[in-house]
Amino acid sequence: MKECIAMLLAGGQGSRLYALTQKLAKPAVPFGGKYRIIDFPLSNCVNSGIDTVGILTQYQPLELNEYIGNGQPWDLDRLYGGVHVLPPYQKASGSDWYKGTANAIYQNINFIERYDPEYVLILSGDHIYKMDYSKMLAYHKQQNADCTIAVLEVPWEEASRFGIMTADENGVITKFQEKPKEPESNLASMGIYIFTWKKLREYLERDEADKSSDNDFGKNVIPAMLGDHQRMCAYPFEGYWKDVGTIDSLWEANMDLLNPNVPLDVWDESWKIYSRTAGQPPHHIAPMAHVENAMITEGCEVEGEVDFSVLFSNVKVHPGAVVRDSIVMPGCVIEEGAQVHYAILAENVVVKKGAIVGARPEHMEDMSKWGVAVVGAGVTIGAGAKVGPKAMISEDVKEVL
Amino acid sequence: MVNLNAMGIIFANMHDSVIPELTDHRTMASVPFAGRYRLIDFVLSGMTQAGVQNVGVIVKSNYQSLLDHLGSGREWDLARKRGGLTIFPPSADSGYGYHGRIGALKGILPYIEDAKEKYVVLADCDAVCDLDYTALIERHISSGAEVTIAYAKEKMTPALAKNNVSLLLAPSGRVRELLINDPQTGKRNLSMGIMVIGREQLVDIVRTGYARGMVKFEQDILAKNLDTMKVYGFEYTGYRSRIADMSSYFEANMQLLYLENLNRLFPEERPVYTKVRDEAPVRYALGCKVKNCTVADGCIIEGEVENCVIFRGVHIGKGAVVKNCVLMQDTQVGPGVRMDYVITDKDVQISEGQYLGGTKNFQVFVKKGTTV
Repeated sequence: MKECIAMLLAGGQGSRLYALTQKLAKPAVPFGGKYRIIDFPLSNCVNSGIDTVGILTQYQPLELNEYIGNGQPWDLDRLYGGVHVLPPYQKASGSDWYKGTANAIYQNINFIERYDPEYVLILSGDHIYKMDYSKMLAYHKQQNADCTIAVLEVPWEEASRFGIMTADENGVITKFQEKPKEPESNLASMGIYIFTWKKLREYLERDEADKSSDNDFGKNVIPAMLGDHQRMCAYPFEGYWKDVGTIDSLWEANMDLLNPNVPLDVWDESWKIYSRTAGQPPHHIAPMAHVENAMITEGCEVEGEVDFSVLFSNVKVHPGAVVRDSIVMPGCVIEEGAQVHYAILAENVVVKKGAIVGARPEHMEDMSKWGVAVVGAGVTIGAGAKVGPKAMISEDVKEVL
Repeated sequence: MVNLNAMGIIFANMHDSVIPELTDHRTMASVPFAGRYRLIDFVLSGMTQAGVQNVGVIVKSNYQSLLDHLGSGREWDLARKRGGLTIFPPSADSGYGYHGRIGALKGILPYIEDAKEKYVVLADCDAVCDLDYTALIERHISSGAEVTIAYAKEKMTPALAKNNVSLLLAPSGRVRELLINDPQTGKRNLSMGIMVIGREQLVDIVRTGYARGMVKFEQDILAKNLDTMKVYGFEYTGYRSRIADMSSYFEANMQLLYLENLNRLFPEERPVYTKVRDEAPVRYALGCKVKNCTVADGCIIEGEVENCVIFRGVHIGKGAVVKNCVLMQDTQVGPGVRMDYVITDKDVQISEGQYLGGTKNFQVFVKKGTTV
């Protein structure tokens, strides 16, 4: 038996990341030079002492499945427990896609029961943060709660973008509003729940029986439990947390790693973020290169200029090329004289000689046309070609002339 | 991949004495190199890529760091139920350590006898190279040789002169003469310390050689029997560095500041595996200056660095100026430090404002764990 196991919802399509998630589930999107988004919740689990994780996949699972493999990079290859990828499967009564977040857990009740857990931690695969779930679990037990929801204080003006919790002075949640127009509180749900398993199981079964339900935690299960006056508590989290579901937020979260004042420290030895990496030789910064305020990892060759940027493995920046304020994913090549500004280049993009991707806001006449440019995986930007700001080049394009 | 039916045996402590500074607390095999590797990584990765799935590593002394590095052998794909990685520390019947290669092999004779492979690749760790072991073994088979030794044509240096095996070859590639510590200068055919031999024949040689009090494989067996034994050379022409003393170690690292050398030693199609440390990418801070450096992950660079090989987890503080240095794992360089021609071993701390300097021909070496 396990005291607490984690279920990680990784089935989201991530449609707001457009070209980046055409063939990739959102949790598998590369982040921070050598990670993928899912490395954060997975590493948090291991670092918090949770050694059993079910990963619920549905959309474009191939690369994610391969990436997780036997879980060894996260120390989740265990004899009892460990990491398991759980796609929807066929049952005697037929087969169903996961209809909603709650249904995904419902369909895996058998998996959870195998570990006979006291508590179940529900996580999502689209947030960047470092959190000790064991402290949250201790809080859940101390509060004798049926459900504990991690919450973060957000600026009041942003509160209407989140699921907002109102809690009393004891931390007991009294009200939950999904994206309220006029928020009563600024405690936003982080999409991290701990349930007492018996209670959750009961509500999952009830929710499944309700044909009108969307089978969603935020929309259905949480409100139903609240309506029944189950003991639901808000666990206040302080620290860095970011939803990276949009191009802008993904870009910002990467840039946050470059800011020493942002409390997202991936260099901290006491809370490592693990990832599966190919293991490349050290990177090389050439004599004529200029590198400042950047994150660069193994296998890169920098001969040009890199400033305010995150380079993933095996990126080559040729002499005279400029990469600024950009995120360059594994295997990209920026050829001589090419310029990349405020852009996200997906894996294996080639920017040929003299091509320009993106633009600098200070050079824009009309700021409404400015934004981060995105180039999908494997696309070649031809010599001298231009990709404007805010562009979204699908990976089906193959080549921009 | 073709299964060439070969096993590997690696001598971890062979040549320890050439760099006592670095082998004071480790084996030659576990000497750190190229930012994130240990010398044994090049041999193990090469063998794995040739389909060698049964590798024995013979260790004699100071092998704690090597055991820690190798673990179960998983990183080299050698954590297997059949074969895989086996480490052989000295055993009671081999006495305290062993004497020469024959003694070392005698100590693990049952392992070699029980193996199923037809050939054995014997390898030392002091020559770093990107040898294609497949080609070496194939040549061994096709030439009908009893022993095939990988060698490279190399200019003799004073350091190499003290520790080499040099081959004089017939045009057919057959070894006519094998010299130990060949004193001659100029270009010589120097053994890479890697050879192939039939497994049953090796068992035979070790058993009879040991019985006759023979110690050194090259000197006592090969050199004396060249007219009856078919010993062939296999020329290696790729990138290589020989670790023959401290200054050649420094030079070998410095050579990796040239992109073409880096790419020759680490070709894309033949990756070199090592123990994963889960380090974050390198962070180059605002205001840092970096020129001509080869840098491994986990470092934070806030100062100025030029012509340096920087290993995993190194921190260069603000205002520090570090030039022509090899900084091993977790070296901490305080703010305002100035360093030129220094080699720091693991876990060295250089306190704020210190100056340390060597010269191009004589580098200052700071021992493991020292605080300056």
